Amino acid sequence: MEDIHITGSKDCYIQPSVDFVESTGLCDISGESFMEETATFYTPLVEWVKEYSKTHDKIVFTCSLTYYNTSTSKWLLALLKELRAMEKRGGSVSVIWYYTPDDTDMNDDIMDYMVDTGLKIKLTPFEEV
Amino acid sequence: MIIVFDYKRTTIIIVNMESGITTKRRTVDNIAISYTGIFDTEILSVLAKEIEGTLSPDDKVNKKVFKIFIELAQNIAFYSLEREANNEGGDTGVGTMVIKNFDDHYVFSTGNKTTMENIIPVMEKCDNINSMSREKLREYRRLQRNMPAGEKGGGNIGLIQVALTASNPLEYSLIKCPDGTYFYIISVRIDKE
Repeated sequence: MEDIHITGSKDCYIQPSVDFVESTGLCDISGESFMEETATFYTPLVEWVKEYSKTHDKIVFTCSLTYYNTSTSKWLLALLKELRAMEKRGGSVSVIWYYTPDDTDMNDDIMDYMVDTGLKIKLTPFEEV
Repeated sequence: MIIVFDYKRTTIIIVNMESGITTKRRTVDNIAISYTGIFDTEILSVLAKEIEGTLSPDDKVNKKVFKIFIELAQNIAFYSLEREANNEGGDTGVGTMVIKNFDDHYVFSTGNKTTMENIIPVMEKCDNINSMSREKLREYRRLQRNMPAGEKGGGNIGLIQVALTASNPLEYSLIKCPDGTYFYIISVRIDKE
């Protein structure tokens, strides 16, 4: 399977940067995500994790999005559910989420993701990056 | 001629480069930013930058207005009855956005053309959202988020997010247009800290 490398853009399409690397199992999303058509962007990412989890048993997912719209938030949940499925099959899954401590909206969101998926998400403030 | 807004955005400063004369005009009805037209990706990113970067001296308030803008602007893009061709070969909704600046709060409004049939469920959703506590709203958002991803716009999760971000109720009104369609306006108050 091929790695995914997407360079984020704020000029026109307002999409995040993505690095999904098969050899290391490191998957990273960063930047901002508020494009209008989220399905076109996120479907291949969810498919990648699904494929990857068939032949690998370790993955580290890091998210350092500073902003995402509600349409994106549905796809992040879909990604996390795929990771949880991998964990349930015995895989080792780490999820690290960078956040701004005074952004209560995002804190609430991450808590809700944990409740919905049953995944343990390691919260790390941006200052420590 | 150079036009500059003062930091509160209640005054426009006009500088005539030739004569050097500076005039100040108060903006009409406290309007800080207004836009009418197509809500395509390009316009969205330009307005987003304007709001996030320069609306007020308080970054936290700017971020709130920015988040509300994204959700409501994307609703116009998806659902407005009035449409224009975009650069990607499809069409995008046309509408209006107005940000008003008052001493202790902003009022953010968007408006777009619609039909009675399409807007009744949206108004019901607004009433429903306004009747909920913050905790209930979060529960409702979780429910909506767990619905299958991929459908256009993601339903009313955007409206829930707007109410949560603003911590104020969603106000709406409907104006009948001469052509039998309706102009739907949604407003929300954002308090300055």
